[in-house]
Amino acid sequence: MKYQDYDIANFITDEFFIQWVKNPNENNNHFWEKWLAQHPEKRALVYESASLIRSVRYGYNPDFSDQMYVETFEQILKAETELNHAKPIRVATITPTPKGNFFSFFPIRNIAATLLILFCLWAQYEAFQYNPQSLEKTNIPMITRFNPAGQKSIIDLPDGTKIHLNSESVIEFPQKFSDDLRLVSLKGEAFFEVKKETRPFLVESGNAKIHVLGTSFNVKQKNNEPLYVALVTGKVRVNAGNGDQVTLDPDEMLVMEKGGEFYKRKFDPLSELGWKDNYLIFKNTIFSDVIDKLENWYGVKIVVKGHIDPKWTYSGVYKGEKLENVLRGICMTSGMNYKIDKRNITITNPK
Amino acid sequence: MNNNPKIPNIEHVPIYPPGHSESIKVYESKSDLDIWNAFNNGDENAFNYIYRMYVAILFKYGCQMYKDQNHVQDCIQNIFIDLRRKRGNLSEVQSIKSYLFKILYRELIRKTKKEIETVNHSLEKMSQSFSIEFSQETKIIDLENQEEKSYRIQTALNKLTCRQRQAILLLYEEGMSYKEIMVAMELNEVKSARKVIYRALATLKSLLIKN
Repeated sequence: MKYQDYDIANFITDEFFIQWVKNPNENNNHFWEKWLAQHPEKRALVYESASLIRSVRYGYNPDFSDQMYVETFEQILKAETELNHAKPIRVATITPTPKGNFFSFFPIRNIAATLLILFCLWAQYEAFQYNPQSLEKTNIPMITRFNPAGQKSIIDLPDGTKIHLNSESVIEFPQKFSDDLRLVSLKGEAFFEVKKETRPFLVESGNAKIHVLGTSFNVKQKNNEPLYVALVTGKVRVNAGNGDQVTLDPDEMLVMEKGGEFYKRKFDPLSELGWKDNYLIFKNTIFSDVIDKLENWYGVKIVVKGHIDPKWTYSGVYKGEKLENVLRGICMTSGMNYKIDKRNITITNPK
Repeated sequence: MNNNPKIPNIEHVPIYPPGHSESIKVYESKSDLDIWNAFNNGDENAFNYIYRMYVAILFKYGCQMYKDQNHVQDCIQNIFIDLRRKRGNLSEVQSIKSYLFKILYRELIRKTKKEIETVNHSLEKMSQSFSIEFSQETKIIDLENQEEKSYRIQTALNKLTCRQRQAILLLYEEGMSYKEIMVAMELNEVKSARKVIYRALATLKSLLIKN
């Protein structure tokens, strides 16, 4: 049977299809994307099948803690040495020095001993000379990127990770990551496409820490608002400042209040992640939030004249639009007027 | 068919004992067969790699059988000690993951049987093994309907036999091929692995297709 004749039951039992859903790689991605392009009418069926496959999870999800990881490893090695004690220790074979060898003229053991003592003395000396400042000098310099209102940027990290940094956001990272950790700290909002590799990737945002291996997700924490982490692919673990931790699966969003209370919910990808692709999105947005968003997005100052109904909300999607077009769109639907004077905008409600 | 699926995402980031990060770099691109042979020949880095890659998922898998975490941890310890002891005489392994799943399953049954005999544990523990959670990615529209449907599927899944649930989890949660499921569940042929899955899904078919 060909894939185009498949029904849902065929898809969810097909190995090649399951592999693509569970372990996407270059090969199967290439095939299924091509196939979907050729059979657009099957798109819904394919997504439904993929969603079913992804929905099946273990009913019990214990965490294998760091402590268990190390403990088990040590126990395994320890069992070995205990076993080896029972066996006779293998005697090292010593190759006899050939007669007339150059080195045989020197008391080699004495030389070795002298060198060892010298080394110890030197090490002792170095230890006394230890100065914390010299350590700082060898530290890798930190790089800070800041986007003011009205500016967005894409940052490529040395490990291949890509960060979309939103406006009014700051990110700090070392010029070169250490051998065992990739650590960045964020204030504001950013979308991460983390390059998959063995060093864990850690995002610090306020008190929370987000652990990643290779995945894409959005982090938002502005002023006194909660922390939002929206996961697109892969898996991340968020550690709250108070020691609580929570794991996110794709399409889940974590909302963590300032006090550390948190909950998970689903999210709408366009409203949460659209900003990085230049989508300006309003979804039943109240007036004051519309103004904040516009000021932040375009780096302008907005003054409002007249009374605005507190029940007023606005919905609309703009992609890469100029401010004037957005203002026209908003004002047209609600009978307001606007005036642009360089970076100062005035919105008037005549009613 | 890809018989060596690398773990797609490891949500757990442990502190590595020394040498673990290096071992990953060396073995990431090698086939399971090569890694296993290196381990069999006494290569410590190969062991580090295997431990690092599989210990967390083994633990999770083991806990699906018995929720007693210490018990599962002990069994994992035992199988690795045993494997290290037998180095030099290990047989060829095509898929390390499914092989480890198999021997952990055996060890868990062996050790638990012992316990049942001595402590007089109840056997019904086993029937609750491999419980499945079914949580569909909800679409924003029609949320209520989705949730109800998910609940019905989850209930139906957990009414399947233990072996069927085990196979379904290996297929969907672990992303194993039928061949790997055959190894992990000690079935005789790939056909049998397919049969277990088909039978389980046939029971659910009406639920899955009706929207």
